[in-house]
Amino acid sequence: MLQSVPLIIYKLRKMKKIFFIALIVLAGLSSQAQFTKATLQATGLTCAMCSNAINKALMKVPFVESVKADIKNSAFHIVFKQAQKVEIDALKNAVEDAGFSVGSLQMTGNFSDVKVENDKHIKIGDAVFHFLNIQGQVLDGEKTIKVVDKDFLTARQFKKISGVSKMSCVATGKAEQCCLTEGISADTRVYHVTI
Amino acid sequence: MNFKKIIPLFILLFFAVHSNAQREIANIADSRLQIKLPTAKGDSITLASLKGKVILLDFWASWCGPCRSSNKKLVKLYEKYKSQGFEIFGVSLDEQKKDWEKAIAKDKISWLQVNDPRGSWNAKTAADWNISVLPTSFLINKKGDVVAIDLEGKELEKRIIDLLQE
Repeated sequence: MLQSVPLIIYKLRKMKKIFFIALIVLAGLSSQAQFTKATLQATGLTCAMCSNAINKALMKVPFVESVKADIKNSAFHIVFKQAQKVEIDALKNAVEDAGFSVGSLQMTGNFSDVKVENDKHIKIGDAVFHFLNIQGQVLDGEKTIKVVDKDFLTARQFKKISGVSKMSCVATGKAEQCCLTEGISADTRVYHVTI
Repeated sequence: MNFKKIIPLFILLFFAVHSNAQREIANIADSRLQIKLPTAKGDSITLASLKGKVILLDFWASWCGPCRSSNKKLVKLYEKYKSQGFEIFGVSLDEQKKDWEKAIAKDKISWLQVNDPRGSWNAKTAADWNISVLPTSFLINKKGDVVAIDLEGKELEKRIIDLLQE
């Protein structure tokens, strides 16, 4: 079947329009951020800085580029490999495998116009975040967020921060009934963070 | 982490290799285990130069709590046996020379002290000796052989007495 040239051009234009609309919708659904580095404090029964185990375990995490021990602040400065997917839980697991636990974890990344609201979920990249104890704002450029999930804080600090939200996902770190209404599928990992 | 380098050391230090022909033990004359680092005054001493004495090679740092409490016990031990040929060779992994010097003064350390200025877990000496936790100490006999690791308290003292009589 032969179509006239103007008709083909018209159809192509229409497709292009649909394509652009789809792109805009997709971009709106998933905000973007690339984590570049982190500062991690470890706790345990023995002197965390006295062991090379945490250093070694973090270096084995695939997206970790370098780890530097900061003795003065009892912290590890971690730099991530460029443009690699960063999985926050992998850092925690490395520390725990080394026989310690995470006392604090701050993640720094480049955000592009990510609108965040207090006690609301937002998908950033591949992960779902739930911001607690913040003023609604737009994250743009280099920003640092602090992970406040259980096992990323001392028990006392967790108790304090988890009290600010009534949503049950705060306790489990996973999508619960509370999150499903916001369109997040059940059992999705939800990272609880603050600024 | 350079595993190729560490594996033979690991074998050297922790398993005296038993074979039909020979038995290999870590010895401070081994060039791979050489430690040549500056003292607080700036001159450098080598571990190998202490051969003939009973040596406690002690890796520590000012920021390491367990090391500091161990220092207190070592002060007494050193006082008691230094005249009989016992020496302590302290290797600090402090990044800041000042922190190291302050700790020496505070803990009243009078034994030999050197500092690896490359600092903390980047220190080459720590990698050479396969140190993964602080404090770590090696007891070395008059022949320069490493004979024990991480002895403490009475066990350490008893072993020192034995080695001094060898």
